[in-house]
Amino acid sequence: MTQRISKYQRFKMMNPVIQFFKFIYLSIKIMVVVAGGHGGTRNLN
Amino acid sequence: MSKIVILGAGISGHVAATHLRRKLSKQHEVVVVSPNSNYQWVPSNIWVGIGKMKSEKIYFPLAPLYKKKGIQFKQAKAISFHPEGDKTEQTPYVLSEYVVGNQKGQQEKITYDYLINATGPKLNFGATEGLIPGKNKAYSVCTYSHANHAWGGLNKVIQQLKAGKKAKILIGTGHAKSTCQGAAFEYILNVEQELRKHKVRDKAEVTWISNEYQLGDFGMDGMLMRYGSLTMKSHEMIEMIFEDRGIKWILGAGVHKVEDGVAHYENLEGEHKSETYDFAMLIPSFSGHGFKAYDKNENDITEKLFKGFMIVDADYTAKPYEEWSVRDWPETYQNPNYKNIFAPGIAFAPPHSISKPRKSKNGTDITPAPPRTGMPSGITAKLVADNIIDSIKGGKKSLHHKGSMGNMGAACIASAGFGLTKGSGVSITTFPIVPDYEKYPETQGRQLGKTFGEIGLAGHWLKLALHYAFIYKAKMKPFWWLIPE
Repeated sequence: MTQRISKYQRFKMMNPVIQFFKFIYLSIKIMVVVAGGHGGTRNLN
Repeated sequence: MSKIVILGAGISGHVAATHLRRKLSKQHEVVVVSPNSNYQWVPSNIWVGIGKMKSEKIYFPLAPLYKKKGIQFKQAKAISFHPEGDKTEQTPYVLSEYVVGNQKGQQEKITYDYLINATGPKLNFGATEGLIPGKNKAYSVCTYSHANHAWGGLNKVIQQLKAGKKAKILIGTGHAKSTCQGAAFEYILNVEQELRKHKVRDKAEVTWISNEYQLGDFGMDGMLMRYGSLTMKSHEMIEMIFEDRGIKWILGAGVHKVEDGVAHYENLEGEHKSETYDFAMLIPSFSGHGFKAYDKNENDITEKLFKGFMIVDADYTAKPYEEWSVRDWPETYQNPNYKNIFAPGIAFAPPHSISKPRKSKNGTDITPAPPRTGMPSGITAKLVADNIIDSIKGGKKSLHHKGSMGNMGAACIASAGFGLTKGSGVSITTFPIVPDYEKYPETQGRQLGKTFGEIGLAGHWLKLALHYAFIYKAKMKPFWWLIPE
């Protein structure tokens, strides 16, 4: 096992308060990517 | 009055049926034909496979819901396609056979005006000798019953580890052309976390085996992504996670034979090797269902409808990787020969893989097949339903709604461990799914910002939130349609 994720990074990844805000941020960002629309490709290029 | 028949009641078929029923008046018939009695939310299977979720939480019976909503349900399997009818039946139909009840074994010609083939993939375990769920210590999490068996096998190994024994765990793909690396990726991280929870991690060797050329390929040729303030390649991110978790990996491996506790594979160097294990979860290859099609004179016209999976508006011209284009991918999922037949989700034949095709030195194809997860399956099913709705309401054929995987985003919220405070998830979004090298030439075909990765507890919460949201949506509870696919 090689520690590739530092203790500070791990703290941020698992801290419920920080992660709560991350949860809101991710929810919105994923909605933007996924619900942000889709379409064809053949007319665009 | 129109009759729309939907084959399959998985994510794609169910999405199409629910949208059609909501937007079409009751004078139009919506008929779902599926051999399965339940709807299942497949992405949560991995939690069933580690014993953290009861399988009852991820499925529900379809018949009561469909009866309440005015959708006809026939628990039957499709046998053959007759898009021109036959000598006695002028209307196009699908020959189907009932699988339960008094009608079991009876065949029926189910006629249609529009047909949506959402039969998904056949889990082709037979393509790998000895790969049978629950046999040879090898399991699958492709269905909730498979996942239940997997948890039984894993629990047994955990008890052995607690008794002081050592064990080898092998998770990944069970065929040179398997897809769904994402599901195996989620499962290996969840299993690894469970071993730590049970304080037996030090006694187990956990190994990833995959047909990917690099870690993080996921059948999508890998991706360049934002990770915090960094821009990194997906293989760097997954390598970081695996090293941090002490997971070993074997890449470019085409597993071709499984014996009791041994997986035999060929690698890209052409070497034939084997890996022993005490517990394995290997994703099989997917294939079409082998349906036949006939014209009105009962001549075999299977090649007009199927190329393994169903033929749609893709460019199937064989060409080298360097000439592949995002425009090869279908936009409307309409069969070019029979315009009232559509195949969204996993049922359509992809024009080619997304990952660069590779052969071993012996000439064996070892390339991940293109993934089509819940999100694109739902999106493509909804756009097919919308085009049929427009065609019926407008009185003329409409293909206004389009959704190529080359112009569509997807999110892969991969659970990396279960637990409200100790859980973790790897959230990855990618836009587009199929890289567009003309539009995004400097970022490996993807739009940075919309293609990003995050690791942390929030990812687990998100996956759990999606589980409840999509079960709610599938049950057609109030305002279900506001939840996007």
